[in-house]
Amino acid sequence: MSDYILELNNITKNFPGVKALDNANFRLKKKSIHALLGENGAGKSTLIKIITGVYNQNEGKLFLNNQEKSFSSPNEAMNAGISVVHQERNLIRRFSVGENLMLTNLPKNNLGLIDYNTVSKESKKWLDIMELDIDPNTIVSDLTVAKMQLCEIAKALSLESKILLLDEPTSSLSPQDTKNLFALLKRLVAEQDVSIVFVSHKLEEVFEICDEVTVLRDGKNACESEQITNLNRQKLVKLMIGRDEQIIKSKKNIDFTDESLLDLQSINTDLGHKNINLNLKKGEILGLYGLVGAGRTELIKCVLGLDKINSGQILLNNKEIKIKSPKDALEKYKIGYISEDRKKEGLILMHDVLSNAGITVWSNLKKILSFLNDSIVYNKVDPYVKQLEVKTPSYQQIVSNLSGGNQQKISVAKWLASGTDILFIDEPTVGIDIKTKSYLHELIIELSLKGTSIILITSDMPEMISLADRIITMKDFKVVGETINNHNYEEMSSSIMGNIHE
Amino acid sequence: MNNKIPNFVKTNQFGLLILVIVFICIFSFSTDGFTSRFNIYALSRVVALDIMIGLAMMVVILTGGLNLSLGALGVSAAMFGGWCMESMGIPISITIILVLAFGSFLGWINGFVTVRTGVHSFIVTLATMSIYFGFMTLLTEAEAFRKLPEAFTDFGSLKLFNKYISPLLIISVLTCFVLYYIFKYTDIGRKLIAAGANPDAAELSGISVDRMFIYCHMLSGFLAALAGIMLTARIGAAIPSMAGHLGFDWLLPAFLAPVLGGTLLSGGKVTVFGTMLGAILVTLINNGLYLIDVGEFWVRFFLGIILLGAVLLDRAREYFTVKNSIVS
Repeated sequence: MSDYILELNNITKNFPGVKALDNANFRLKKKSIHALLGENGAGKSTLIKIITGVYNQNEGKLFLNNQEKSFSSPNEAMNAGISVVHQERNLIRRFSVGENLMLTNLPKNNLGLIDYNTVSKESKKWLDIMELDIDPNTIVSDLTVAKMQLCEIAKALSLESKILLLDEPTSSLSPQDTKNLFALLKRLVAEQDVSIVFVSHKLEEVFEICDEVTVLRDGKNACESEQITNLNRQKLVKLMIGRDEQIIKSKKNIDFTDESLLDLQSINTDLGHKNINLNLKKGEILGLYGLVGAGRTELIKCVLGLDKINSGQILLNNKEIKIKSPKDALEKYKIGYISEDRKKEGLILMHDVLSNAGITVWSNLKKILSFLNDSIVYNKVDPYVKQLEVKTPSYQQIVSNLSGGNQQKISVAKWLASGTDILFIDEPTVGIDIKTKSYLHELIIELSLKGTSIILITSDMPEMISLADRIITMKDFKVVGETINNHNYEEMSSSIMGNIHE
Repeated sequence: MNNKIPNFVKTNQFGLLILVIVFICIFSFSTDGFTSRFNIYALSRVVALDIMIGLAMMVVILTGGLNLSLGALGVSAAMFGGWCMESMGIPISITIILVLAFGSFLGWINGFVTVRTGVHSFIVTLATMSIYFGFMTLLTEAEAFRKLPEAFTDFGSLKLFNKYISPLLIISVLTCFVLYYIFKYTDIGRKLIAAGANPDAAELSGISVDRMFIYCHMLSGFLAALAGIMLTARIGAAIPSMAGHLGFDWLLPAFLAPVLGGTLLSGGKVTVFGTMLGAILVTLINNGLYLIDVGEFWVRFFLGIILLGAVLLDRAREYFTVKNSIVS
């Protein structure tokens, strides 16, 4: 008998044209936290989907508690004690926490109606186990993002799950919330007999919390159940991308006494921004740092005319401008916005590569009577798609079929094609593999060297410090600090965090 | 893998084409007179209208919405045309331009209210359906315009191609080509589709989504008005009840044609020729069932079943697009 709770042996999974998994192994020890790592497209999601019964493998075997199993639906896997907590919330926002926790098995009273007392009592039990101070009657939409995440885990526990798969659980959490979550996970493993599979792009977290690591690369094992103590960051990155990580630093000299290209003066907005002043120089990368909810993305959207600016001025080249819509921004002022949410705001997932990459240039390319065909668009966007090394079988490929990294490249390519002078770039590398990430970093620096002025929003401190020339810190919809970046991580991060916690 | 199968075969339109052929075969053998010159001519007159109202609905479904006021709008526009010609003596060509402008205006109201209030077009057009039809009935006192210029009514009963085909069908097919051209080969067509597929992404990419949605509703009004004129020419009179009470008679074919044709109800995908084939299929079934003599109510029953089937197909289409995607 082995002490593995879950074992996947020699798993192969084929999709039309792609071998997503090729003889991959994965073994999860009882009561351990096991990191599953790999770049986008390495086969992590496929492996998880096989474990949770969404897909069936073409070859190989799956053992649960030493018994061979094959799940034909996610429900079967769930009944066998395997739960996934996805990046996307799976809670019903208008229901109470208790209702969500008990959803699959709502207790009924004698009349066959839902017994809300038992709902509260039962769900309280699970919340208590997690030492969560939440009233089961709270409506989910009133919770913070972090609490929702924890409720998801409570929900998984209430299903008597012994295996928890956490897919990027910290992507929307603040450092403090992350710390709390990790403490909880460690406790669950110790006290509740739970084993955890942890998927994350943040390697610091892996070192902090995981016992063992399995790395996938191109559908194969780059390493299998390696003790975390035998690894360091460099080794891990090398396993993931097959070469050493390159750390990029922008080496530029911006004269900050120059005249500003874009100038926001005492901006107050409908969303609650108070007296925002900031200016952007030509060719500068201006970082906007802040915790989630600091109002950075919201500020940009107000500037783009999506929400109302109540008072204050926007100056472009010292002339006051009024931006009514993103269309206005693009066509009149050559300002573009790369959204943080590429699936919802950045791309049209159901459309093909060509129309996604070309959407910003259609207006410029149209001929008489609004005529526009594919080859006109192709000629315009092809250089940019090539430059970004987008991997796609053809321009007719539907974008939702591409990997996250390639999707992000397309949402960048369309703005390169549009030739804007000012780019607002919002969280450009969330959920992106390391290779694409450093590629995008190089690209952003290169763009600014060529004269594009960039406002960069990122919550990734290392990214901010390697890219930005100057860093503005925001908190509660106000600017709380401005620092010229000297690219020294320790100094800069403590200065920025100092601004936030003042 | 299955690269040997041409792409066309995998499309929805191909399946429809097969179905159309199958039904033609069935009805040709099982009924008398299906292939007669008289019946084919009658079919061409009906299918012309079904295509047009299918297209009128399709351009709003593109936005992820729908247009329940379609029938009321079309009839109102047609009655306006009848008034122009009969009461005001306005020449036919100018009347047609006025009617199309009027239809576009009513469509603009639908679009403007939908965009400005943010209420789903289902509710907005449910209201305007009642408003347009009520107002029209009030103004016309429910009286028909029966003394239309002969040149106009003659056109409706003209027979072309050895007396097999009505010119109305040619108008509809031409409209299909024009719409196909717009969606495939113009900047504005691409923007309409992009706005329908993902309004947020389109807006942030510099497309004025509100304006695009209003355009879709105007186009819908334009096409519905065109259908109204065609129906008037076919009947030889403009009658308030020619599309049923509140224009209800148009709604079923209006939904059936685009949904059967492969237009996604959630928006962002149009199939002009699919809609055309869908309309042909609906008309065929309708006509064939009448010839078999199953009775009016059975025909409605079957069309309802087909609509449900088509909606299931729509679901399946979305499901399979997800299943087929290579995400790893």
